[in-house]
Amino acid sequence: MKLPEPQVAVLNAASATEELSIDRLAEEAGLKPETATQAVFELRDERLLDVEETESVEYELTEEGRAYVDAGLPEVRLYRAAIEAGADEEPVQMGRVIGAADLDGPEVDIALANFGRKGYGTIDSGELAADGDADTESDPEAVALVALANAANGDAGVDDGDADVEDAGDAENGGESETDPVADVGDDVLDQLVSRNLLDRHERTVRTVTLTDAGVTALMEGVETAETVDRLTPEMLASGEWQDVEFTEYNVEADAPEVRGGKTHVLRQTADRVKDVLVGMGFQEMDGPHADADFWINDCLFMPQDHPARTHWDRFALDVPPIEDLPEDLVDNVERAHREGVGEDGDGYHSPWSEDFARAIALRGHTTSLSMRYLSGTQVGDLEPPQRYFSVEKVYRNDTLDATHLLEFFQIEGWVMAENLSVRDLMGTFVEFYEQFGITDVQFKPHYNPYTEPSFELFGRHPTTGELIEIGNSGMFRDEVLEPLGVEHDVMAWGLALERLAMLTTGAEDIRDLHGTLADLDFLRGAEVTY
Amino acid sequence: MPVVDIDPDELRELTGHEEKGEEELKSDLFGLGLEFEGETEEGLLQFEFGPDRLDRLSVEGVARSLRYHYGDDRGVAVPDTNDPDFTYVVDGDVPDERPYVTGAIVRGVDLDESALDSLIQLQEKLHATMGRKRAKGAIGIHDLVAIKGDALTEEGDGNSITYTGIDPEGDTFVPLDSDREMTPAEVLEEHPTGETYADIVAEYDRYPAIYDELGLFSFPPVINGRRTEVSTESRELLIELTGTDQWTIDRMCNIICYALSARGATIEEVEVEYGESSSEGERTLVRPDFEVETKSVSHDRIETMLGVEFEERAVVDLFERSGLDAVVEDDAAAEGVGEAGDADAGAADASGDDDTTYEVSIPPYRTDVLHPLDLVDDVGRAYGFDELEPRYPDVGTVGGRHERSRLEAATRNALTGLGFEDLLNFHMTSQAEAYDRMNVEAGGDYLGGGDPVRITEPYSEDYTILRPWALPSLVMVLENNTHRAYPQDLAEVGLVAERDDEVNTRVRERRHVAGALARHDATYEDAKARLQAICRDFDVELETPPTEHPSFIDGRVASVVIDGEPVGVVGELHPRVLVEHDLELPVAAFEFDLEALGGE
Repeated sequence: MKLPEPQVAVLNAASATEELSIDRLAEEAGLKPETATQAVFELRDERLLDVEETESVEYELTEEGRAYVDAGLPEVRLYRAAIEAGADEEPVQMGRVIGAADLDGPEVDIALANFGRKGYGTIDSGELAADGDADTESDPEAVALVALANAANGDAGVDDGDADVEDAGDAENGGESETDPVADVGDDVLDQLVSRNLLDRHERTVRTVTLTDAGVTALMEGVETAETVDRLTPEMLASGEWQDVEFTEYNVEADAPEVRGGKTHVLRQTADRVKDVLVGMGFQEMDGPHADADFWINDCLFMPQDHPARTHWDRFALDVPPIEDLPEDLVDNVERAHREGVGEDGDGYHSPWSEDFARAIALRGHTTSLSMRYLSGTQVGDLEPPQRYFSVEKVYRNDTLDATHLLEFFQIEGWVMAENLSVRDLMGTFVEFYEQFGITDVQFKPHYNPYTEPSFELFGRHPTTGELIEIGNSGMFRDEVLEPLGVEHDVMAWGLALERLAMLTTGAEDIRDLHGTLADLDFLRGAEVTY
Repeated sequence: MPVVDIDPDELRELTGHEEKGEEELKSDLFGLGLEFEGETEEGLLQFEFGPDRLDRLSVEGVARSLRYHYGDDRGVAVPDTNDPDFTYVVDGDVPDERPYVTGAIVRGVDLDESALDSLIQLQEKLHATMGRKRAKGAIGIHDLVAIKGDALTEEGDGNSITYTGIDPEGDTFVPLDSDREMTPAEVLEEHPTGETYADIVAEYDRYPAIYDELGLFSFPPVINGRRTEVSTESRELLIELTGTDQWTIDRMCNIICYALSARGATIEEVEVEYGESSSEGERTLVRPDFEVETKSVSHDRIETMLGVEFEERAVVDLFERSGLDAVVEDDAAAEGVGEAGDADAGAADASGDDDTTYEVSIPPYRTDVLHPLDLVDDVGRAYGFDELEPRYPDVGTVGGRHERSRLEAATRNALTGLGFEDLLNFHMTSQAEAYDRMNVEAGGDYLGGGDPVRITEPYSEDYTILRPWALPSLVMVLENNTHRAYPQDLAEVGLVAERDDEVNTRVRERRHVAGALARHDATYEDAKARLQAICRDFDVELETPPTEHPSFIDGRVASVVIDGEPVGVVGELHPRVLVEHDLELPVAAFEFDLEALGGE
């Protein structure tokens, strides 16, 4: 039989008749205790060894206990000083005895308390009387302390000063020591010493090992050492040596050191997932400027110039000259739509309109500016139906920063152009889209937007909480939007904050962990991947 | 979004549905698009709704909509009006900036506390919405008893008031919530309401003023005089609105008149007399303008928009339940009066053929009907959009991602493969972060030295410009994560922008690739090794001639030259920059233009 070296050593050290502790085996086999332990269990699994576990109690002298071994217990010292002072014949001033006994600090109280408890004498009105017959030489506590100390010193060579004394309890402790010092000490004395803090009590499991019959047979048949290797090396592979070696077994359950790979940002992952879904639904991606003329951001969308959202500071105006170039015909058409409306029965807004206002540059508050650029034909040429377009891009809103609002966030924007689209087509598209993210039961609440009619706020069922939550805004672009752009077909559109979807699908609670320079690297490193 | 405060008892009384419980009312209102938001301290229910139906800004308007919803009322209703007695004379001195006035006389008003509260609430909410915080239109409501107007009328057969303009110090009156005579200028300086609205008239040479025989009694759009203050004792009201647009103030006036009429008051017309000097010349208008407008909607458009087939009578019914009237246009011409329900019951037309067109009458309190499509929306709401069955549009298109988006994704993929944590930072930052703390200056001839694009009125001093380069964002993330495990290898592919007047939008937008390696032994070589790996992935040629850059250590910084074009920088960050960001280990970094990786 070939076994790894530690196992061979343990097997040779073990006995069929004598129970040996693992520590003892390790010592005899010349192995580190942990190596021996591992080998013992491996041999047990091979049924070559029996392992028996017993609970044992160990005692260890405390620092105070060790001090009394040499100096004597305080009450004993007090008694001896009292006898010398003649207190067995007549009471003596307590202070004098204490001084003579060389007691101080807490020792005084300890001495006095135990003096009385052990019947060495009495204390009355500051005077101390001793009982001349008391036998302090055989005080069980003092005797036990000394015995325990001697036993511990005897063990010191093995345990390197760690003064342990083993109580064999029910099991015979290998017969190593001729007399067991602890066994001679009564349990009540031990309890007393523990309660006096002179002794610490520990409980521990002791494993003892014996050879099984199979182990004996194996030894008789001869056990050889198998060569084990820690690492497979290129040389071994080249030489063919790998065929003759046994590989050291690793603890495959142990934690390995931490390794970190790079990871796509969790919000990008959600964006990629959205893009995948939309591409799968036949949508093409749009691209265009973040800083744009108000004309593209608002005027094309039939947002009156005195609309609160336009004059207000929830928009980020940029300190740059107005846009250089806008398509002239388009500007005329848009102005006419604002002033006069569109179609025979159309009315315009009763609001001022100026081209200068439209030319001012701002950060886009929505990516619908891209939709306007594409629908107008200026971005990729005139578009014939059917068309589906989308973007997942940043927008900017001057809002209060909090757990769910950022100054910059991603908007999912999409639109479909086709002949004779109805509200039902819009609903069908969104039901399909949200279903991809586990959001079902999509509901359509009639809503108002200046640029769509009919318009709907979209609500859906949260995939885990079941709560009804707002998931987007949608509608059919108005004629006042489409006609100036030269679009003669129906266009339905919708928008949704990506962060909202990401919070729904990842469970993130504070958006600031996700996005921006306050990002916590641990959060990003620990974020679950999206797919 | 506008919010209306409603006393549920009043709502029950005005709808005539005393039996409705509070929950039932809330659910009925949700059906109309009014969402319950909470309760006021006084126990009024607050509802939020879209800013299209401003006629629902008071309990009276909400009750009217509910009565249509319940089917208690149908079609268009216009209050009866009495002939005018009062004339509002528009004087030649009226400020050019605020030339328009309108109004009405309301008699037989029974204003208890809640009715008065409701009227004041409606006035304030109209100011906040259509009135654009009183700039576009402002409403003044006065106790008619306190107004004396007979002497100013030339003909002597009626009453009049005058809308004019006066010098800021030109006259005095006692404004509301005050007990002393003040000039308009003093009101703006010293009266709390005056201070609030001073901006509106700040540029005016003459201030708007309204006079009766006794003198100045109102300073629109700022404050009324105390003499004409309305109380629960008031039984007759004079309403005036001034503004920058006649249509807007006329509609605001209509909404007020409808609300008062719903409480049993009688509306009396007024004549508004504009003089020759007014922009549209001399003319007289009779107000309020309760004219019912009509628009034509084709049956076909309703069906294609809603995706549902309707019978004509069903469409007419839905219009009427929306508070509109509709007649089929041919019938309207033929019969004059079109009782829509029984009109044209012929089998062929009953389902509404393609040529059918409805002439739809729109009540004068509606401000949101700009186009026939808005009427289709009303049909949809009355029918119930919830009733529509979603269907996936049966048109085929080919999907695909934009080339730039694919390039960005491929670059991120390469970066994360090299162990970089992909970051997503704000595009807005501050001058301090992008320049000062990185030791660079605007106008410097190096990456990151471009002119910043500034935000005109920054919301916060942390966000005042668009970032001209991306590396400062990465260094900020390092700064905020010094308590996290190292190495920290961070990268970002994202937008940077600088001011460039040659560009149409004046903002040159680029995508940059930035990477930073923060580790105890980071060197130039670590950054360059990764840069090389990326360039190899994209099959472009990298050269790194030495250069200078104030963010990096001299002699350990190179220009990133890709396919012969200088597009970025690579090097070891200068200790000054590290110490500035509380970093206690070296950082090697690079940044370059994403386009350099794209194949031409």
